[in-house]
Amino acid sequence: MSTQAPVLDPTETQDTESRSAHDQPWNVVVWNDPVTLMSYVVFVLRKLFGHDEATANRLMLQIHHEGKAVVSSGPREKAEHDVHRLHAHGLHATLQRS
Amino acid sequence: MSRQRGVRRLDDDGGVEIVIGTGERDALADLAPQLRAVVDGTSDSDLATLVRDRLFPAAYPDDPERQAEYEELAGDELAQMHRDALDAFEATLAGGTTQRDRWSVRLSGEEAEAWLAAINDGRLTLATAVGITDESCWDEGPDPEDPASVLLFYLGWLEEELVGALQHGLDAAG
Repeated sequence: MSTQAPVLDPTETQDTESRSAHDQPWNVVVWNDPVTLMSYVVFVLRKLFGHDEATANRLMLQIHHEGKAVVSSGPREKAEHDVHRLHAHGLHATLQRS
Repeated sequence: MSRQRGVRRLDDDGGVEIVIGTGERDALADLAPQLRAVVDGTSDSDLATLVRDRLFPAAYPDDPERQAEYEELAGDELAQMHRDALDAFEATLAGGTTQRDRWSVRLSGEEAEAWLAAINDGRLTLATAVGITDESCWDEGPDPEDPASVLLFYLGWLEEELVGALQHGLDAAG
């Protein structure tokens, strides 16, 4: 925390900060785990995000080989909604600022 | 002659037909209340806690404040979705038809998705119990002395069958 006296109207500063934080996109990351079936991950990515099989397969392989993949991104509310849907399907998903 | 075990897509309504052994049906029926105890939090063993951490992963693992907000917003709904899937899983397991050593049931698309969710929860639960911490753990195959290990491998087969049948639905929709 800074102890410096504010040089701007604090209300305006807060508003600007919250707006820029709100606008900053969030990434939805799906993590590899040793249990979930590869075919199931492909199925869930196709079902939730409407990917074709090749795209879902590429993302699944990225998760498998690199340990994680960004499967969607956007404003926090949308990203949280996507994480919630992934959690409802048993996938290990988290949110990260992009 | 016994009907072939497996899951096949029904052409008419997007649902599936499942054909499994009667012993397999009984094992699934026994598993369901164990999963419910984990989801409901009525079991507070170390294992149940580990499983709950996997069934309800953190959306914001490095941000306790946002994580608390997420849990408050989504936690109850998420638990209810697991319960709803288990309800449909148990209800349909109680129906179906038995012929000799085979049990079969016809499921709507929605019921098939509930089975998929319950079976996936079952795999995550049993894998935690058996101690699958690495993909190489699968190489040795099931431990015939350990019923949880045998059931875990069985659920892998059943889940592949279900995904295969439901995947056809996505192909048709696409």
